[in-house]
Amino acid sequence: MKDYSKELKITEVYKTYITAHPAIKEAMVLKAEFPAYFTPLQDGDLFAGRLQQGKVGFTIDEWGPTAFAYYCQFEDIQNDLETYNYPTDEKTKIEEMLKFWESEDTSNKIRKEYPPLMAQYLFSDDWMNTSGIAFPLYRLTGSTPNFKKLLDLGIPGIYKEIEELKATAQDDGRDVQFYEGMKIAIDVLVDTCLYYEKEIRFLSEISTIEEKKEELDKIADTLHIITISKPCTLREAIQLFWIYTYVADVRNYGRMDIYMGDFLVNDINAGIIDEDEALKYLQSLWQLMADRNTVVHNRVIIGGKSRPNEENADRFALLAMEATRTVKEIEPQLSLRIYEGMNPALYEKALDVIGGGATYPILYNDDININSINNAFGFSIKETERYFTPYGCGEYILEGRSFGTPSGVINLLKALEVTLRNGVDPVTGNIIGLQLGNLEDFHSFDDLMNAYKKQVEFFVSILAEQEVLEYKVCGREAPFLYNSLLYDDCMVKGKGMFDGGIKYLGGTLETYGNTNTADSLTAIKELVYEKNLISKKELLDALDNNFSGYENIQHILLNAPKYGNDNDVADSMLEKVHNHVCNFVRNQAERVGLHSYLVVIINNSANTLMGKSTSASPDGRNAFEHMNNGNAPSGGNDKEGITAMLNSLVKPSSAIHAGSVQNMKFSPELFFERRDIIKSLLKTYFDKGGAQAMITVLNRGDLEKALVEPEKYRNLFVRVGGFSARFIELSTEVQKDILKRTLY
Amino acid sequence: MSETGIIVDIQRFSIHDGPGIRTTVFLKGCPLNCKWCHNPEAINYNIQLSFNREKCLDCFKCISVCPSSVHFERAGKHEVNFSECNLSGRCLTVCPNKALTLTGKVRTVDKIIELILRDKDYYNNSGGGVTISGGEPMTQFQFTKQILKACKENEIHTTLDTCGHAPSDRYLDIMPYVDLFLYDFKESDFQKHKEYTGVYNDLIQKNFNLLYDNGAKIILRCPIVPGFNDTEKHFHAISDIYRKFTKLHGIEIMPYHNIGLDKARKIGAEQNFISVDTTDKVKSREWISALTKYGIKNIKLG
Repeated sequence: MKDYSKELKITEVYKTYITAHPAIKEAMVLKAEFPAYFTPLQDGDLFAGRLQQGKVGFTIDEWGPTAFAYYCQFEDIQNDLETYNYPTDEKTKIEEMLKFWESEDTSNKIRKEYPPLMAQYLFSDDWMNTSGIAFPLYRLTGSTPNFKKLLDLGIPGIYKEIEELKATAQDDGRDVQFYEGMKIAIDVLVDTCLYYEKEIRFLSEISTIEEKKEELDKIADTLHIITISKPCTLREAIQLFWIYTYVADVRNYGRMDIYMGDFLVNDINAGIIDEDEALKYLQSLWQLMADRNTVVHNRVIIGGKSRPNEENADRFALLAMEATRTVKEIEPQLSLRIYEGMNPALYEKALDVIGGGATYPILYNDDININSINNAFGFSIKETERYFTPYGCGEYILEGRSFGTPSGVINLLKALEVTLRNGVDPVTGNIIGLQLGNLEDFHSFDDLMNAYKKQVEFFVSILAEQEVLEYKVCGREAPFLYNSLLYDDCMVKGKGMFDGGIKYLGGTLETYGNTNTADSLTAIKELVYEKNLISKKELLDALDNNFSGYENIQHILLNAPKYGNDNDVADSMLEKVHNHVCNFVRNQAERVGLHSYLVVIINNSANTLMGKSTSASPDGRNAFEHMNNGNAPSGGNDKEGITAMLNSLVKPSSAIHAGSVQNMKFSPELFFERRDIIKSLLKTYFDKGGAQAMITVLNRGDLEKALVEPEKYRNLFVRVGGFSARFIELSTEVQKDILKRTLY
Repeated sequence: MSETGIIVDIQRFSIHDGPGIRTTVFLKGCPLNCKWCHNPEAINYNIQLSFNREKCLDCFKCISVCPSSVHFERAGKHEVNFSECNLSGRCLTVCPNKALTLTGKVRTVDKIIELILRDKDYYNNSGGGVTISGGEPMTQFQFTKQILKACKENEIHTTLDTCGHAPSDRYLDIMPYVDLFLYDFKESDFQKHKEYTGVYNDLIQKNFNLLYDNGAKIILRCPIVPGFNDTEKHFHAISDIYRKFTKLHGIEIMPYHNIGLDKARKIGAEQNFISVDTTDKVKSREWISALTKYGIKNIKLG
């Protein structure tokens, strides 16, 4: 039976400060949360910082589909109340708490402010289980603050900065209370360190093993030191960093080799630690990240252009890869920025680690991405080179400078499906889209294409407005103190990041089913409009019957050109679909008042989940099957070999969106016995415009065996799309999707 | 209109037929009939009907549309009388599961070159290029030569995979357009060669000498088939070649794989081929050490 005393306490504090200045309210809620939600050190931890987040609280990220900012996990709590026999008075208190949060939960506040059209067309928040074209996401995810500032200044330096800015605030017309809230937040951080110190000193006292005692004392000493001094050693730097990521709920860590590299090398040069010891630190940190279990975050970025301390950073990067190789966990998502002229040792090490079955590091090609990001977002080259970092499933952001949470999803294939049927969703029978006629009304392929575009544009416009609304409500609700502290230009402006403080406030939109949509349009164009092999009615009947009794038609549809084979007909259709949605989304930014608004073609298991509510499609895909993953050809449709597949992959422009992911699977034989081939293959792909590569090295046979004897394949990792997972923990549908993807 | 030929397939990202990343064009037609052929669908010079038993749904739609009674039913199962087929192609259009297909397609040199050029960057970065294989590419001589010539005009490395059984003047003619020959050495014994491959090896040896003497770059490829040519005598002969032809670019052994049998079944020709187990890695290593004992250095597995 879950104890709700902490949640009740937080609720009380929130009530007390409900009319207070947002900075004070947030600070007091943080104070109620931390260190209360932290959990004890576990055996083997070299750093303090584990957390059991409660059912009520505050976060910049999300603790469930709609649980963000000030959140309450209504369903979970309701379930607990129904499952367990709480004493009457406690039950009453919990019920009152639920009732209170009904109107205070940030997601609910946002939903309440939807204008009628938005409410009508974004009719559900449950994108995983509902059939629909577009859905909102409630979260402010992907924060990657300036950790270098945190470690350069340390707690005393930050405190000083706050004090100084506060002292002049009134005269400069800045918000004094903002800084007051910051001060309280830093106190909470200090309290948390001291809380852990006390706990660990106690553990040390009762420990009878000398070696363990010594280790615990070191952890406790470190926790103490960082509250009174800026970090001077790698150990202190990691400790401060790690606690901060929890109080701030930051799950992406940016260019760690820049901000940790100097600590590492200074320690080694000063004889404080050797590389073996440093590796132990990283292994412990990696394990803490793995146990944090964010599923799609925990990004650590290494390598890349514009690192001020390149040699030190390289040394850290090599150690980071070794930690990934040895810890063998699905997180952190170690990502390596590569470029022509980089230290070749890093690249070799990366291939070794990938080949060992790690799925990491994920490779990002600076030589393409810098220009692409620059074009898509409108930053400067210098700024992009220095601060660009991928987060989460693969969205791009500038650390400490820009924000772009994906706050919406659109299923392009569903948009097409509905456009073929005059706005009706064939899965539910409801009218969910614009009524523009049905396939039989479209006299030319262009008519159909225009209707599809209009449908997509209508939903994108709403989603863009929803993103802005989400920011607006969040900006009003809270300054997000810990994040604003490390995000330009919040401190100097005295404003929260979503209240006008941040330098670049952008947004992103996740698109799904891109390839299936393009392949469907190719099939319709060629078979229905050009060759007249299938009539419009036949096609709709076949789709409505999921091809049952229409196997011939499915066969013809499957044989139409498909993206991923270096086929110009299919690939140019994908480019059309890609350019349309990317450019239309991008053009929304100015209208809705964001610095940027961009598509992300990242992936998680949404291609599978959304596929489950999408009927049979004209590319020959059966109803409710998964859709394509990320930017990839739809499962098993790339039949001309990997060079053809890669040639297709580099065709859609990477300069008009905020990130896309490319999964590739290789057999161990090819990867190890023909390393020269793999290297020249990847080099060519990157030369030709490849932006990113996520490589899994495994046997198809292993996957099949893992289905039969899961216990023997605990360490079999695969890339699902935007994240890695243990193969055996995936649903059967996702497993099938992976088995279907081509192995080279 | 450029030269046309009949090909089986074009394989991109081919990494086993010559150096680097290559595109391999498999041509149809071969003058030999090796019992262990791993591309049996490339022996016949013409397009052929192919039937994949595993994909067949036994729907018998093909029976009604075939003008030549190729398809028939026996005990509820669809069977095929391949010899009756005159390639009307009608059965293909009604087969719901693509169990019926054609092996072989007509292509122009231009079309093939267009495809080849798409991967040029991969060839350049990997030291790869284009391989013409088959079948025996020398049987479609003008077609092969035109492809090779066009490759050279585009500065692409070329490899010709040949059994050596073709008129000698053709080898001299094609030599300027070939950077590397993959030259088969199947069996050293004169009689056995005839028995296993259908032809004697005198012409093959003559052409080998001719190419070698004219300075061609050659890798000798030796298919080793358990129970046929995995003999002391044959290994000895390979080592003789190694010693005598010091400028050979390399010797590769190609352990037998029974993949060909399944392909033979699809064209109704399985009775023409042997059926032995695929060579395992242990066996391959034994062969390599045997050959090493004869003094051959740097032998490679092809």
